[in-house]
Amino acid sequence: MEDAQIAALLVRRCVAGDAVAWEEIVQRYNRRIYNICYRFAGSADDAQDLTQEVFIKMYRTLKTYDVERGAFMTWVTTITRNLLVDHFRKTKQDRMTESLDGTASEHEDAMPLSERIPDLAPTPDTRAQSQQVGEVVQRALTKLSPDLREAVILRDLHDMDYRDIATVLKVPEGTVKSRINRGRAELARLLQRTYKQVM
Amino acid sequence: MAAESHNDMQCNEFDALLSDAIDKMLTGPKAEAFLAHGKTCAVCGPLLAEAEIGKHWLEQLVEVEPPAMLMHNILAATVGIDTARMRGAATVPVRASWFERMAEWGRMVVSPVANVARQPRFAMSFGMAFFSLSISLSLAGVKLSDVRHADLRPSAIKRTYYETSGRVVKYYENIRFVYEIESRVREFKRATTPAEPAPQKKDNPKNDNTSGQPDEKQQRNYSQGERQVMLAGLSDNPPVVEFANLATLRRIS
Ligand SMILES: [Zn+2]
Repeated sequence: MEDAQIAALLVRRCVAGDAVAWEEIVQRYNRRIYNICYRFAGSADDAQDLTQEVFIKMYRTLKTYDVERGAFMTWVTTITRNLLVDHFRKTKQDRMTESLDGTASEHEDAMPLSERIPDLAPTPDTRAQSQQVGEVVQRALTKLSPDLREAVILRDLHDMDYRDIATVLKVPEGTVKSRINRGRAELARLLQRTYKQVM
Repeated sequence: MAAESHNDMQCNEFDALLSDAIDKMLTGPKAEAFLAHGKTCAVCGPLLAEAEIGKHWLEQLVEVEPPAMLMHNILAATVGIDTARMRGAATVPVRASWFERMAEWGRMVVSPVANVARQPRFAMSFGMAFFSLSISLSLAGVKLSDVRHADLRPSAIKRTYYETSGRVVKYYENIRFVYEIESRVREFKRATTPAEPAPQKKDNPKNDNTSGQPDEKQQRNYSQGERQVMLAGLSDNPPVVEFANLATLRRIS
């Protein structure tokens, strides 16, 4: 059985009141949703709260999912994305105002990423080193504007195709591609600056 | 030819093909035109390089492990059922935990007693038993507040148990001792009523112990026989009981 068929069956069982089917759904998708939330929010605590919210929303609206209208994965990702947008709006005042305007580079000049990462010197442990690199990339990612960030997360971290991303983001495929390109390029610029300052 | 074709491509066209190019989906003349434009355009050239580097950076981000409690929390927040329980109900055959087995055993032992206790004629007896136990405990110096502040380490519980049971036993022995004196006094009175004094019967009951057994054991056996007499004649002369009780308690404790 294909993933889509399994998902459709699970949803049917769950809507019929099968709690075990719901547990199966949570088991299958919690990792993916958590990762999307974590990469977007950049905080494990926020990711945990958001993932929980996504599943609560899913549980309440599971009846409205229509198999004919698209893959369950796309539906789940759309719910996740919508909640991330809400979360971003709620926390915008606190910390993300600059990146909304697309002035991330100006923000970078004011507060270089390297200032927040005190030590990027190579360590003997390669695992620790790659973890360190991961942290630096994650910090740069959360500095991208949310439009660019969500596009690169769905494409480069979750391997979604452009059409599905377009469905989730409710924009044309061309816009998706453009955002992905700009997101990748912006990330490269942020990290280039960081490593230049450190090395 | 190449120079002409890259001139044909506009920056927006280049941008539209950029992701396909990075995905290595671009082939043929389109790919050539794309690369040609990238080599000559001051805006698009760096964009291609940066996008490729950015994609490379993103590949460094590995999937993170969700917190261990996440799934449990989600299930608790949605269906409100614990994962293990749901799992147990769904797949695992009946496998009672140690605690559940103990609880079941407890129910088996307690339920017949509870059924009997529910009958009105026994309810009164249980009530009286409970009442006398609580009186005994409070007189023995066991207070509820002490229990509340008790040290609950196993060693401390063991010690408290022995101390408390020691105090209760001691108190009971004292009471028995008092009752014995009381009944002896009553017997003595009865004996002396026909105006014939019997001074040898007025001995301390403890002096009767000639068996070599501890006093307590003697008194226990003895008081069981004497209690009937004592209870029947309890209302006869309360002041004597009162006096003997207090005096003896003071002396023993
Ligand atoms: Zn150009």
